[in-house]
Amino acid sequence: MPKYMFLLYNDPSWYRKLSPEEMQKATEKYMAWTRKPFVADSNRLAADTGRVIRPNGGHPRATDGPYSETKEVLGGYYTIESASYDEAVQLALDHPHMEYGGTIEVRQVFGT
Amino acid sequence: VAPQQTTVLLEHLFRHQSGRILAHLARLLGPAHLELAEEAVQESMVRALQTWPEQGAPDNPAAWLFRVAHNAAIDAVRRDRTGGQKSAEFLAALSQSAQIIPGEPDVEEQLRDDELRLVFMCCHPAIPGDSRVVLSLKIAGGFHVREIARAFLASDEAIAQKLVRARRRIREQQLTLEMPRGEELRERLDSAMEVIYFMFNEGYGAHEGEDLIRTDLCFEALRLGHLIATSSIDSPRVHALMALMALQAARLPARTDEAGDLILLEEQDRSRWDQELIAVGFHHFDRSMAGDEVSEYHVQAAIAATHARTIDWPLILHLYDQLFAMNPSPVVALNRAVAIAKVRGAAEALASIESLSLPGYYLLLAVRGHLLLELGRREEAAACFNEALACRCSEPERRFLRRKIEQSGRGSG
Repeated sequence: MPKYMFLLYNDPSWYRKLSPEEMQKATEKYMAWTRKPFVADSNRLAADTGRVIRPNGGHPRATDGPYSETKEVLGGYYTIESASYDEAVQLALDHPHMEYGGTIEVRQVFGT
Repeated sequence: VAPQQTTVLLEHLFRHQSGRILAHLARLLGPAHLELAEEAVQESMVRALQTWPEQGAPDNPAAWLFRVAHNAAIDAVRRDRTGGQKSAEFLAALSQSAQIIPGEPDVEEQLRDDELRLVFMCCHPAIPGDSRVVLSLKIAGGFHVREIARAFLASDEAIAQKLVRARRRIREQQLTLEMPRGEELRERLDSAMEVIYFMFNEGYGAHEGEDLIRTDLCFEALRLGHLIATSSIDSPRVHALMALMALQAARLPARTDEAGDLILLEEQDRSRWDQELIAVGFHHFDRSMAGDEVSEYHVQAAIAATHARTIDWPLILHLYDQLFAMNPSPVVALNRAVAIAKVRGAAEALASIESLSLPGYYLLLAVRGHLLLELGRREEAAACFNEALACRCSEPERRFLRRKIEQSGRGSG
């Protein structure tokens, strides 16, 4: 079955607007979605913007993450199994991430 | 792959844990660093959201949040957020405290004590009266400004303002989390009970289905009341307050029908009353009888207990007479009038509230209209209900009033 990656972007400070009650609801929704049968793998990334290695004229060098200009960071990813691109997109539409100010990028994984 | 376990957490887990973890951190860091403690608690919840979906919820979610909040506080102190002087002391206290595990009996007792101290600080007389409730809900209850605003039908800014004022007082007056003693303890307990009862009434004034946040206020009041009633400073009055709140809260599920319309007490389906809360209510009612003191809470608890047992309007009227003698307030007079109508008729009830003035209070107008309608004075009744509609009231109350207006206009009552 073809595999797709869902890349989850958001502004981590968005969660700080939520009350404890809303945080609990959000946690429950993310937990429920992550347990769905088509989810093959899922991981969260640490909330900093990371380090990026650039060519730097033949002397590769690490710099601060690519998102220092914007507040959105890649916060996690899923690998899911789905029969088609359309179906994968449908599955992503159902994810709670957008309720909490996030965006999801859907990409097909080659060779699957 | 996510572990096969439930994705639904204990109801209000985060809200309740946020109150108690904050209470504990505030105890360690002092009220001067309340905001740091609040941020640490929030961080623990963000961390939960970021890790539980993949790792599954921990076996002891409360202990997990407790530990992670401690770590976040430690990080903040290391970044010198507390301003130097005592940071070594704070770090030692936090590191030691991070080792304890909520859920163990002696730890639970300590945490309850922390919460109690925090509630008592929120109810300090140096804090303006209306800020005490807001502060208690925010700090001890884990409610958000937005949630409090919704529950009080107020703007976010108004609630935020009250919080700012309260926090300023905490700083200026250097309030501590010390438990007061002697006469001061008595005063503080009175203040705490007032805050809790106010919280309860604000929640009880609305109706289920309209906005659940309001019933949450009732249950938060019960939770705080329980905290005091199970501590060493409980008193018969505290038990009376608990009885009164539990017995009234028991009726919440029966107060509206499926369409969300109001059902008056005598028409309620008693099988929908919450039996567990009734049992809790009577337990506290019994304990309120220790000693000779008869407070207003006692009389109100007796009224709620009578309603819970049976329909006995003469006894209810007798109790309202007693309450009115202790507190001749317009609201008590109004409630008493309902009992007078049941026992001695609408004319006498109407006379008893003739001189009352409660501007903007829809219930006075609604009761007056109801009594006028019973006496066949339709036009006057309709005028009362119309005037009531212009007051602040909930949507189900509005529908109730509109039905009454329609009734006033028709041939039969």
